[in-house]
Amino acid sequence: MKKSIILAILFAVTFFAFSENQHDEIFRKAVTAYEQKDFSNSLQLFLGLENNGIVNADLFYNIGNCYFRLNKLGKAILYYKKALKVNSSHRAAERNLKYALTFTKDKQTIEKENSISLFFHKLFNFFSLNLLAIILLILFLLIIFIINLIILRYRETEKTVPVFFLFVFISLFVLFAILGYLKWKHFHGENEAVLLSQSAIGYSGPNEDFTRVFTIHEGMIFTIEKTENGWSLIKLPNGLGGWIKNDNFERVKI
Amino acid sequence: MKKIFAILFLIIGFETIFSAEIEVQSYVDKTKVGTQDILKLTVEISGKNADKVNKPHLPKINNFSVVGSYSSSSSSVTIINGRMQSSITKTYEFSLQPQKAGKFIIPPISVKYKHKTYTTEPITITVVEGSTEPAPPVSGRMRNPYSSSSSNSDNYSNKLSDNLFITAEIDKKSVFEGEPITVTYKLYSRYDIYNLDFENEPNFNGFWKEDVYTPNRLNFRRTTKNGRLYYVMTVRKVALFPTQTGRLVIPPLAMNVQIRTEPRSFFDFGETRNYLIKSKQKSVLVKELPAEGKPADFSGAVGKFTISGSISTNELKAGDSFTYTLKISGTGNLNNFDPPQLPQISNLRFIEPEITTDINKDKISGTKIIKYLVIAQEKGNYTIPSLTFSYFDTSEKRYKTLKTKSYNLVVHEGESIYVPAGSSQSLVLQEGKDIGFIIKTEKLKNTVIYFDSFLFWFLWIIFALSVPITFVIAKEQEKTARNLDYLRQKQAKKILKKYMKTASEYARKNKPEFYAAVQVGLNNYLADKLKIPRGSTQEFIISEIEKRGLPENILSDLKNIFDKCNKARFMPGGFSEKNIQNDYKEVQRIVNDISKTKI
Repeated sequence: MKKSIILAILFAVTFFAFSENQHDEIFRKAVTAYEQKDFSNSLQLFLGLENNGIVNADLFYNIGNCYFRLNKLGKAILYYKKALKVNSSHRAAERNLKYALTFTKDKQTIEKENSISLFFHKLFNFFSLNLLAIILLILFLLIIFIINLIILRYRETEKTVPVFFLFVFISLFVLFAILGYLKWKHFHGENEAVLLSQSAIGYSGPNEDFTRVFTIHEGMIFTIEKTENGWSLIKLPNGLGGWIKNDNFERVKI
Repeated sequence: MKKIFAILFLIIGFETIFSAEIEVQSYVDKTKVGTQDILKLTVEISGKNADKVNKPHLPKINNFSVVGSYSSSSSSVTIINGRMQSSITKTYEFSLQPQKAGKFIIPPISVKYKHKTYTTEPITITVVEGSTEPAPPVSGRMRNPYSSSSSNSDNYSNKLSDNLFITAEIDKKSVFEGEPITVTYKLYSRYDIYNLDFENEPNFNGFWKEDVYTPNRLNFRRTTKNGRLYYVMTVRKVALFPTQTGRLVIPPLAMNVQIRTEPRSFFDFGETRNYLIKSKQKSVLVKELPAEGKPADFSGAVGKFTISGSISTNELKAGDSFTYTLKISGTGNLNNFDPPQLPQISNLRFIEPEITTDINKDKISGTKIIKYLVIAQEKGNYTIPSLTFSYFDTSEKRYKTLKTKSYNLVVHEGESIYVPAGSSQSLVLQEGKDIGFIIKTEKLKNTVIYFDSFLFWFLWIIFALSVPITFVIAKEQEKTARNLDYLRQKQAKKILKKYMKTASEYARKNKPEFYAAVQVGLNNYLADKLKIPRGSTQEFIISEIEKRGLPENILSDLKNIFDKCNKARFMPGGFSEKNIQNDYKEVQRIVNDISKTKI
């Protein structure tokens, strides 16, 4: 009883606290503007919502669409990535990102993974972070329940069944906990970035005097290794590393 | 026509004088016949070698038609003057049907045998209208079993035409051009029909004919007509659509009917007779369709119809297709008119329609379905206009115009415009690619990351806290379970104390009640401690204590004190004042020992 009340409170907070009418109103206006092909106005409204601290995959997806219509490929890709970060199983964002990536000058080689890592990758993307949280919570609840059961009936000799289930749930719990942790780390990780400027030159050191290593173009997705004095060491998907200026890119972060 | 008198030719053969000759003669069964009768012409060839003669060739007989032939042969032996002579007679029977009334001659019939020609005499026949011969008696099954013999005349007629005839039933006497008529030919008979076949195919001039029914086997039912029982069978049914106006003739249907007559006596096996019978000629008045009020779109539909239209979808994408179906159903000349014309609608392409006409068995009612496949070529709003269909309503005798509903059609922008080339199919090709449309969420929810929310982890703590709580609860429960025994044990000491207090009172006053108090107190105390019912006998208590394995010395002390109590209480003179203090001390020691020992 006590537990269900708390669960109800949790959901109530989630639903009520952030569903403000005002935001919905702005969102509707933005959608209407988009439908009337007034993309820049729509974008401003959507961005306003983002600045109000709203984190929503659909919102990021719509912002990405606005940028795409305004021919800002880098920003569009950045926002699609953001949408996917919030909800890794956002199909529409995935599709649009794939499509947008075909417009970048640089071919974004997708590493050919073997089937096992592909499987884990899919598994990783299949469960969104919050879904994992709920699964973990339920598993934890079950474990606690079984432990309580065992304690209350410790005098009874027959304990095989609860212990078996306890074992199963603990195994599942560990599995999902690992997955959840990785996912959570990935969510808070800010290493991924998208190039927003038309093009950027990668040097072998944090200065323009160093040797030019590569040139990348708008929409390139890469990871940041470290940052020094306005320069960042980045790693391209194909393994190339180089230093580029920080004002060229934006991190994929919420 | 040859007129030869005669004759009997005697021919002397080469072999024997007598045996070579054959005799040929012809005769008819009657010289006066009716047009409905059958004349039987018999040609008889007799002689020794008659069986070697070929079948005589029947010349063409004017005004008669041959409807059947039959042959038989017989042989006879005659003894004349002790000489035996054998003779064979071959008989050929021809059934002739007179075609009209008058006086006619059956020409001589010639037979060739061994290069010689034998010819018979011509026979003159008078043919009258109708029938001269009495009809054969009707089938026994057709006689009314309930009618008495006196009323037989009512029930039978000996005239053939009353017992065997074909009727032509026409459902309408007067029709409009194009309005169907159904003609049903029925054969009525009071004889046992053996076989029948059509003599001719009626020639329906001025009609467009649809066969409704032709029997493939004899299928008679019993019926009553004019108070008589008949076998009746529908021999033909046609639907006629007049194509001309005026009085049109419905031609008669002629049939050859073989009937079997009833055996009249034991030696009569009955016979099969052939009759050619015809239905009466009838006519129908076909009226012209009135010119007055004739709609412009009238295309010849006559009858009674309904029309309905339907459309497979109201909303589609450009490049997709839908079907527009017109359904005309009703009674009339469904096959003989054109469906309503569809107007041209720009950007809607109507493919040549698929027309199916479903005619019911009666050939005059059914449904005509016209199916158009329509391809929407451009987006926009379209209207398929209401179509008109005019027909002449035969029951109300005026022109009527029906209207279909008009349909509104919304064609959305399609991804690609696909116009099929003929009927061959091809894969839908993607012509353009774009990002997906924005998402219009009703409620914009902020995504709370549960892992980062305090409430989430708070729940975990609550859940985790339930374990120690449960642990405490479990412990408590365990205690409660033991509580009853615990209470008794706890109180056992109290009770003992109470009794010991009383005992010490008595001991101080050196009263014999001391022993009673000690005994009852110990008894109850031990019973509670051992968890056995109070009031158990001493022996039982002792045996219980022995079972629990109390140290030997305590047990013997206990027994000792019980003995002393018994002695002091129940043996006369067993109580002495001087022992009481000692015993009190001993009781105290034992109680001390027992309360220390765990039982």
